[in-house]
Amino acid sequence: MMRFAVRRSRNLIIATVVGLVLILWLSLQDVSLQRSAYTSGWLLIGMCFFLAAYNLRKKLTFIPLGASASWLQWHIYVGLLSIVVFICHAIHKADAGFGWPNGALESLLALLYVLVAGSGLFGLFITRVIPGRLTVRGEEVIFERIGAFRRRVRDEAAALVVQSVAEADVTTIADYYTNRLAIFFERPRNFWRHLIQSAGPRHQYLRELSDLDRYLSDVERPIAAKLTTLVEVKDDLDYQYALQFTLKTWLFAHIGMTYGLLLLAVLHAVLAYAFAGGVA
Amino acid sequence: MPEAPVAIQRPQRWDVPLDTSMSDDDVDRLLSIEPFASIDPEKFPPSTPLRGILKNDCRLVRFGDGDLIVREGDYGSSAFLILTGSVRVTLESLPPETLGRKRRQRKGIFAALAQLWTNPNLPEVRAYGEGGQDEALGEREAGEGERRVFLQDVPGILNRYQTVELKAGEMFGELAAMARTPRTATIFAQGEAELLEIRWQGLRDLRKRTEDLRNYTDRLYRERSLKVHLRETPLLEGLSDEAIEAVADATVFDTYGNFDWQTTFKSAKKQSHAQRLAAEPVIAEEGHYPNDLVLVRSGFARLSRRHGNGHRTIAYLGKGQTYGMAELAHNWRHPEKQAPLQNSVRAVGYVDVLRIPTQIVEKYILPTLSASQLPPVIENTAPADEPETAGGNGDIDDGTIEFLVENRFINGTATMMIDVDRCTRCDDCVRACASAHDNNPKFIRHGPVYGHHMVANACMHCVDPVCMIGCPTGAIHRDETTGNVVINDSTCIGCATCANSCPYHNIRMVEIRDTRGRFIRDEASGLPINKATKCDLCIDQLGGPACQRACPHDALRRVDMKDHETLGRWLNR
Repeated sequence: MMRFAVRRSRNLIIATVVGLVLILWLSLQDVSLQRSAYTSGWLLIGMCFFLAAYNLRKKLTFIPLGASASWLQWHIYVGLLSIVVFICHAIHKADAGFGWPNGALESLLALLYVLVAGSGLFGLFITRVIPGRLTVRGEEVIFERIGAFRRRVRDEAAALVVQSVAEADVTTIADYYTNRLAIFFERPRNFWRHLIQSAGPRHQYLRELSDLDRYLSDVERPIAAKLTTLVEVKDDLDYQYALQFTLKTWLFAHIGMTYGLLLLAVLHAVLAYAFAGGVA
Repeated sequence: MPEAPVAIQRPQRWDVPLDTSMSDDDVDRLLSIEPFASIDPEKFPPSTPLRGILKNDCRLVRFGDGDLIVREGDYGSSAFLILTGSVRVTLESLPPETLGRKRRQRKGIFAALAQLWTNPNLPEVRAYGEGGQDEALGEREAGEGERRVFLQDVPGILNRYQTVELKAGEMFGELAAMARTPRTATIFAQGEAELLEIRWQGLRDLRKRTEDLRNYTDRLYRERSLKVHLRETPLLEGLSDEAIEAVADATVFDTYGNFDWQTTFKSAKKQSHAQRLAAEPVIAEEGHYPNDLVLVRSGFARLSRRHGNGHRTIAYLGKGQTYGMAELAHNWRHPEKQAPLQNSVRAVGYVDVLRIPTQIVEKYILPTLSASQLPPVIENTAPADEPETAGGNGDIDDGTIEFLVENRFINGTATMMIDVDRCTRCDDCVRACASAHDNNPKFIRHGPVYGHHMVANACMHCVDPVCMIGCPTGAIHRDETTGNVVINDSTCIGCATCANSCPYHNIRMVEIRDTRGRFIRDEASGLPINKATKCDLCIDQLGGPACQRACPHDALRRVDMKDHETLGRWLNR
């Protein structure tokens, strides 16, 4: 069983070598006055279809088409190589240097490619970073169950507030709950703050509850302590929600744009040949 | 003022007898016939008298012609004594269909692909009318809610397969019950027969106090299994037939712990580590002189070493592993500098061990071992406070070993472990599982976590499959070719015995629907028909477990807990 670090190093070295060979090959074509754009174009479209085929593999789980993990490794490194080929094909011209494509269709196609590749790199980053963060904070909760847990926590908090009024006959906790916590418990909160690992809102609530302590009686204090625990639980649930939501949704954007990219790429190829003027 | 504590009678062993309908008259009758008539009741202590064993650990069971009593491959915790009538033991394996099992075949490529459009959209759909027992089997009421499965064509079975007859006074099933091994033959009633079922606790006590019974079961084991077991032990590979014979003659059997460990496991989890450890029977203790070489025959043992005021678990032992060899080899090579046992070994749940006395080990085994087979010399002969990675647990850290042992995950041969530091919670594994099982996922991606490793709620296909004990129809069984624990849906009667027995909550009971989505109900009671479902390791799919193949991030793996090396490497990737 290969260590991840060893596998990563091996694959990076292979991808770098293949990338350099591709650049050299396309450069040689340019130097020998061949149209490298056709070679790089076919390479790129082939790579895009191969990359998109991974989603098909995911759907056909019951056919032995190789492990998904192996497919992902190919997906990552072929994806990285496709960036090299994309630059050779669309951004760098032998005669004009670096520049953005000037046609409307080509610009849109290039933009879509950049978005797909960008979302892929973003996905690679978050799929390597977020899981570890999910492990270290809050209880592991299945995403679909977070809503039910949140409702339960909210109901428990509301019951504590009612209890505080009934037992202490004052509304100190109830007022604070109505003004500050009711909205916090109502739905997922602080999505972006959680994504950037900010514990600011949590500390704010805990500080406010701590400050509230000086106005509480001995009867109310245990209730406030339980409420504090519930605030922490809810904040952890929000944290799990924000991170798991991000992990689940980036793929929709990545795959959705891929379909558009493939359609435009095919159209681009047809038009390129239609208007090639016999050069190909 | 504190409330007064609630006083109850201390729970006793026989609070829950095997059969509440066993009367004193039944016991009197049993005591008047062999072998009980010649057993001396005085040999039994007042706490577990012979009468008590017969009344509480036994029950009278009547079988009709062709009723299946035990099936080959089943697990059971009871032995049977024939009181009247006779039974037939099959000497050849009956086809799986005849035993209420299903012959599993892998799907072809087209059948696999067809799942894309044939999988129903609703959960737990069954093609109504296709279920029920196989034609070779019938099912009938046996009173008090019990159902019996019987062979429809007994004469045909007798003609086609070799069988032998067992008559009144003969006993069967004792080895499988005592050693927790699969039944080796199928046995069915020939005509009307009355049998005495003895659960393992009673059998253990009868064996302990009755020399004849003990000699009988020991002889059976020595004849049938012991030499094979010794031959399979790597340390004994170089022994001649005569030496194996001598070792077998001197070997002593011991059983520690509780066969029904699953019944107390859930409550024991609430105890502290020290309490749980104290409850585990000690097989051999650190610091004592090594009197014998211990071979684990079945079950699991915890190897621990004193650390501060507690014990640190440093390894776990399973079937085929040994304990005490390092010390015995050291003492044999350095008689002037004797080493005591370096670790303690305790039964986790239950464990069956074979003990080979030191002098036999020194005479027959140690001289045959090469230098590379001999364990290294023990440098510090006083038990040290430093843990060592004994027992070949690879690179698994102490905390993980403790976690695996405490939760009895060491029982698994295909435990689903998820590295939650790599798992993106994408649920591709769950979807792949559902695709391979008519859109019904067979596990829950949730479970206890230690560090960054989760053991998910998926059937572990245990070495000791307690779920298989007590299945009335044999629907849950080990597949003949793969050894996977599988459920035959068409013979499952939804009694939930397996689900209740599984200590890991890995079997679920589901309400089934017909192809139109209507819940299927019992005609008589109107109650829903339930079926037990669980992971079958994609036994009929191409390419093995879909969950593992579907994980894009190498986060999920089905792990055989016996394979410490692979487990260690996977944990430390």
